[in-house]
Amino acid sequence: MVDKNKAGKLTSKIIGWRIWIQAAFLIVWLGPAGLRLHTVCSPVFHCYACPLATFACPIGVIAQFGALHVFPFIAVGLLIAVGALFGTLICGWACPFGFLQDLAAKVPTPKFDLPKVTGYLRYVVLIGTVLAVPYFFGEEHPLFVCRVCPAGALEAAVPTMAGQAIAGEDIVWPSVIKLTILALFLIAIFFIRRPWCRLLCPLGAIFSLFNRVSAFFLRFDTDECTHCERCHKLCEYGIEPEKTPNDLRCIRCLECTKCSPDALNLGSIFEQAKSDGDKSVNI
Amino acid sequence: MNSNTKILIFGLLVLLGAALLVYGVLFHSTTVSAQQEGKPVLLAKSEPALMKDASVSGVKRDESGKIKQTYEVGEKAPEACST
Repeated sequence: MVDKNKAGKLTSKIIGWRIWIQAAFLIVWLGPAGLRLHTVCSPVFHCYACPLATFACPIGVIAQFGALHVFPFIAVGLLIAVGALFGTLICGWACPFGFLQDLAAKVPTPKFDLPKVTGYLRYVVLIGTVLAVPYFFGEEHPLFVCRVCPAGALEAAVPTMAGQAIAGEDIVWPSVIKLTILALFLIAIFFIRRPWCRLLCPLGAIFSLFNRVSAFFLRFDTDECTHCERCHKLCEYGIEPEKTPNDLRCIRCLECTKCSPDALNLGSIFEQAKSDGDKSVNI
Repeated sequence: MNSNTKILIFGLLVLLGAALLVYGVLFHSTTVSAQQEGKPVLLAKSEPALMKDASVSGVKRDESGKIKQTYEVGEKAPEACST
């Protein structure tokens, strides 16, 4: 049996506050003091063209550097270090675009689930629009990630167009593809939980690769599990946490840790499982 | 995968990430061609400066493979990303 470790105990205390923690992170990403530190990347999906963005978007930087044929040491280094520490905890607890989708999911509309295989689309987006298209075709290509990104459309294009309209200037419209993706996204967030994160997010795709080796991970204790499958119902993303606790599609919202026998907990690699035969698995 | 292996992988990844970050912040620079009072000049832009310029379409790669600054030296960089 695994005793609830420090990370697990902390999780139990703060899990009900997740939405407030996400809101608190907004203060960092949106920079109310007007800081524009675009010489630094953040580890979250937030367009640097947003009038309030404090930091540069790592995906935007990787794509832009790809178009320049320059290796983005800062962005890649940051993602490796943060990914190794937290994995997709960033997605569940800090990302402003994920937060927006979580808020929309609170609207009581019918929610549809996605087939498991759709989780792999994110890697297609990562390899295609973030790496291959910028490198081979440059930033003018219509499939360059920033030209199709709904975060860019919502956080940058919409406020910019509003500003132009208010100032009486000519409105510069984004491409039809970008507007269509934004419209589809705005509809989807009310009917699918976190559609961007689960289907297309290239940053989530990168962080998910670290889930199995990150310092913080989801620990499953086989001894505690009663096979009640309550965790299946607690997980809103169609994952079966007792089978794959560190699934690539997991955003580590940690809702599954609410399962009453404490079979699932947030673990850290620095805390040894105190076991009677050590049957906890860190898969 | 046991705990020690995980700690080892974690340590290596953090070291790699930190090394890339430090190299990018302190040592990595890129040669960018720009115009100063109508004359071509070459600038060595640090990665943070290049990142800032890239975020507002202040640098582009031309057909010959050279990276060019889209505004003149001393002028204000574009304010918005072209995408």
